[in-house]
Amino acid sequence: MAHRPSPTRTEPQVKFVGYLAEFDDPHRLVAACDQVRQAGYRQIDAHTPFPVHGIDPALGIRRTRLPFIVLAVGLGALAVGILLQWYANATDDIRPFPGYKFLISGKPTWSLPANIPVAFEITVLFSAFATFFGMWGLNKLPQFSNPLFRIPRFKRATSDRFFLMISADDPIFDATQTRQQLERFGALNVERVDHDQSDAELPRFLKPLAWCLASIAILIPTAVYRSQAMTNEAPRLHFNPDMDWQDKSKPQTVSPALAGAEGSTLFADGRVMRPDVPGTVALGELRLSDPLFRGYEQGTAVEPGATDEEGNPLEPEWVTAFPSDVDDAGDPVLEVNEAMMARGQRQYGIYCAPCHGYAGYGDGLVSRRGLDLTVQGLAAWNQAKSLHDPMVVDQAVGKIFDTISNGRNTMGPYRSQITVEDRWAIVLYVKALQATQERTAAATAPAN
Amino acid sequence: MASTVDQLIDNSIEDPARRAPLVTGGLDYAGVTDVVSQVAESPKPPRIWYILLGISLLLLAMLGANIGHLIFTGVGVWGNRSPVFWGWPIVNFVFWVGIGHAGTLISAILFLFRQNWRTSINRAAEAMTIFAVVCALLFPGIHIGRVWAAYWLFPIPTEHLAMWPNFRSPLLWDVFAVSTYGTVSALFWFMGMVPDIATFRDRAKDPVRRFVYGLLSLGWTGSARAWHRYEVAYVILAALATPLVLSVHTIVSFDFAVSMLPGWHTTIFPPYFVAGAIFSGFAMVVTLLVPARELFGLKHLITIRHLENMNKVIVATGTMVGFAYGIEFFIAWYGGNANEGETFLNRAFGEYYWAYWTMVSCNVIAPQFFWFKKIRTNPWLMVIVCIFVNIGMWFERFVITVTSLARDFIPSSWGYFSPTPVDVMMLIGSFGLFFTLFLLFCRFLPVVAISEVKAVMPTGEHGEGESH
Repeated sequence: MAHRPSPTRTEPQVKFVGYLAEFDDPHRLVAACDQVRQAGYRQIDAHTPFPVHGIDPALGIRRTRLPFIVLAVGLGALAVGILLQWYANATDDIRPFPGYKFLISGKPTWSLPANIPVAFEITVLFSAFATFFGMWGLNKLPQFSNPLFRIPRFKRATSDRFFLMISADDPIFDATQTRQQLERFGALNVERVDHDQSDAELPRFLKPLAWCLASIAILIPTAVYRSQAMTNEAPRLHFNPDMDWQDKSKPQTVSPALAGAEGSTLFADGRVMRPDVPGTVALGELRLSDPLFRGYEQGTAVEPGATDEEGNPLEPEWVTAFPSDVDDAGDPVLEVNEAMMARGQRQYGIYCAPCHGYAGYGDGLVSRRGLDLTVQGLAAWNQAKSLHDPMVVDQAVGKIFDTISNGRNTMGPYRSQITVEDRWAIVLYVKALQATQERTAAATAPAN
Repeated sequence: MASTVDQLIDNSIEDPARRAPLVTGGLDYAGVTDVVSQVAESPKPPRIWYILLGISLLLLAMLGANIGHLIFTGVGVWGNRSPVFWGWPIVNFVFWVGIGHAGTLISAILFLFRQNWRTSINRAAEAMTIFAVVCALLFPGIHIGRVWAAYWLFPIPTEHLAMWPNFRSPLLWDVFAVSTYGTVSALFWFMGMVPDIATFRDRAKDPVRRFVYGLLSLGWTGSARAWHRYEVAYVILAALATPLVLSVHTIVSFDFAVSMLPGWHTTIFPPYFVAGAIFSGFAMVVTLLVPARELFGLKHLITIRHLENMNKVIVATGTMVGFAYGIEFFIAWYGGNANEGETFLNRAFGEYYWAYWTMVSCNVIAPQFFWFKKIRTNPWLMVIVCIFVNIGMWFERFVITVTSLARDFIPSSWGYFSPTPVDVMMLIGSFGLFFTLFLLFCRFLPVVAISEVKAVMPTGEHGEGESH
């Protein structure tokens, strides 16, 4: 690659680097190295197409410290590998990055045997990096410029010739004597190596080009920094929409308009959800038994809002005993026993006690809080009914079941939260509660 | 001056009195350089190279089109259906990773055991390893479904979102094992190649070649000090790669063995998988090197003796694999677990019996032909056996993956796996990727480790044998 003459160039600077002696056999090279070293030279090196054994002592090459570098890096990587796994999967720390305490099947979050494979792989990976980059670093490679590359004969150093180089920096180097010595040691050929630094000057276009590239390179980080510092109302770029937007209608939404037909929707009623087909019953929804599902005697249903001649609301005939319905297998649906009582107590504690209180006096936490707020004028709360109120104590079980199912006054319906069996279990528990408190309730019934 | 025996000597004959030569044809140092360099320097490669490259590129294009189809449509284009959610993609992954075991085994373990015959074949085997790992990494990479989020596989800290991989999952161990293996193999391969690329640089006439090879050879001058550190680094890398190569397929086998599925949950999996990996890897090396030595005139460097040694490894590992198949059945019976016993009976005699017996005939019976010297020293016969071995090893992974998954614990969930055309095209396409990379490697990089071969050549007048 021819160099371009530059007007600003001064005298050609040529530095005498040393002598390069050529040999055609590795054994002669090793012998020559030995002799050169015995002659007192220290700044010597050999160049061979393959590692020649026995040349290290001949040249006085000391063992490299590469293994210790690799050992240090490997141990460090092992520690990092274990710490990484511990931090990521066994801590909840927020800083510097949030960890994620990963609980799987109740196993301990930190169990070393499961962390061995990753720790091992990280150790090997970084040890290999240390070996690879450490070797090149210690060899001061890559180094693309080398005066040896300008010697045509040296091209065979990577094929079948063996070279011995004595540096001109060596204290006992002498331009004529050293050459003679090398010839005496059996060199086929001794060549003078010069380092011509005259064309080491950079091409003139390089500097402006570097400035241009540097300015362009700074643009992207600048833009990123700018967008980080500013607010922007434009939606984020969404490179892959994936399944975020789909042609589908969700329940409780208006039926989408049909393409090409103005004002017309998928369904005539404008709704997306379809009502049941008349006359069909969904699986598990066949509820023929009035006593079990609705708490009154079979066929005594009344129209909502119906009244008798005096204007009193009509009521169905509430059942006074727990329904004796049987399931498909012939077993009773409800068995009034201790298990059902326990179930009722549990469900009462969950659904009823917050307002009615554990003992049923209408003094649950929610109710007390509501009354407090009412006193402060922040809410309008009616105290939950005491279950020991004589009016409630006298109610038939069917009526209590109906109250739980459909609500009463300000109490909401619970039929969608509590199953039929559980509602009956609660009724049983309420009856038991009333039985325990009956006498005292009668004595101390609240005035309201 | 180094020189070797003339080509009439058959170096596969055992003569205890003298060391069999590893380089024949009377080649000296310059001769070895010339033989290897002419592969990359000849103005035109053989016509068959162009034909093979054309076919490989077509298959590669098919693979690319299928991957695009998969990414834009979703993983439903594969035959992975309940209950077989790990279909061909995982089979292909394990198959390719297994093949990728031979290179590092040859360059690391055989190096530590001072097996000098490795020098002629290690470069090509390492290249093959890296290309096989590339093919292997492809399949789990696209199997995750959302390819654009593949970086989630790595432990990258997030600012607000506590999102880390589960370090106790074998699938994550796999990510670390295979990517470490690919990286270390590539470093090892490149480091070994630098002195040989320097040879190419010094022989290059064309400025483009000189520039590119000059850049890749990092300014290597063959300095004795550099060689010293280089050799130490080589030993360290070999010592690191040896447990690594054994760990990789061990961890791949954990993907299966750590689960609770009958037919997968066995402790024999790690050694059995490693033996199978070496088995399939050596078979692939032989399959590639026999045509390559014919095509590029490398017969004096990759001699019959080298191929024969590899075939001996194949018959040894093939027998180990056969033994493992037997032990699996024994343990299924001896363990007394009804599910395990049923799974193995189903493998051999159930609806996948054809896959099982293909596997047994290719993996257990085919390598036994290598007991005959005539077969293991005949290049074309050995290629036929090795192709059967590779078919068998693909079926082994198919049998393990699919038969266990297809029979779930509940008979109502049993199913039968059927691949889709995309599955088939991707498997064939992955061979296109593999062969494209290998053909380009043969043409542009040193196929044989020139400097390592020279180091084990007898040095003429100072007696034969190398001076360790």
